[in-house]
Amino acid sequence: MTPTHFAFSSTFLLGLAGLAFHRTHLLSALLCLEGMMLSLFIALSLWTLQLNSASFSASPMLLLAFSACEASAGLALLVATARTHGTDRLQSLNLLQC
Amino acid sequence: MVYIMFMFLFGLVLGLAAVASNPSPYFAALGLVAVAGMGCGVLVGHGGSFLSLVLFLIYLGGMLVVFAYSAALAAEPYPEGWGSWPVLGVMMAYMVGVCAAAGLFWGGWYEGAWVSADEFAEFSVFRGDIGGVALMYSVGGGVLVMGAWVLLLTLFVVLELTRGLSRGALRAV
Repeated sequence: MTPTHFAFSSTFLLGLAGLAFHRTHLLSALLCLEGMMLSLFIALSLWTLQLNSASFSASPMLLLAFSACEASAGLALLVATARTHGTDRLQSLNLLQC
Repeated sequence: MVYIMFMFLFGLVLGLAAVASNPSPYFAALGLVAVAGMGCGVLVGHGGSFLSLVLFLIYLGGMLVVFAYSAALAAEPYPEGWGSWPVLGVMMAYMVGVCAAAGLFWGGWYEGAWVSADEFAEFSVFRGDIGGVALMYSVGGGVLVMGAWVLLLTLFVVLELTRGLSRGALRAV
């Protein structure tokens, strides 16, 4: 595996691990999600550049546009959580506890 | 050049390990800024200067600025950085995991030198990634309109989500 391929693959998996495990704040989980989107952008851009397929370079631009939509939806959920529950700590999201 | 590219790739992995190791969101946003900067360096080294500029402007200057001031919602009296033991321990554990995976997946590549995109082509104003993005405005016009429509829809989604306070969908009863 080339170093570049290994770097963005492990960046994606580290962001996924950070999203899945031991969060205290909702905002930390959203930041790990943004890190995953960043690694996907870098991966698509490097695909374009290393294989000299210039027509594929519209794909990371569209990924960035849709990830902006997703980030704004996540931040709206964060703001709504902070306004109703008082904090964005994940311990306070306990309405569905058994 | 090879060493700078290796440094950028290592900074990419180290920065995201710093974000994923559960510090306070102030420091996590700072780590993400550093990761985006390293990623821009990697893209520039491969000859994609326009995509790197787009990443800096839109991602760092648009999205991460919003995350940075939303970090005020996650205010806590004693924020944990990478100096406190739980965060540093998790970050070192992630880096050990990455090094173990690197030992497993190393090998199978030959060249250590990077050639930037269309290095051997003739001199042209239309570099590789700029000419490709221009296609988004010509033959890709349909998906461009769809992207603009989705962005407008997201505006209304955000307004609806943050409208209710206690009458909305998210409430603490």
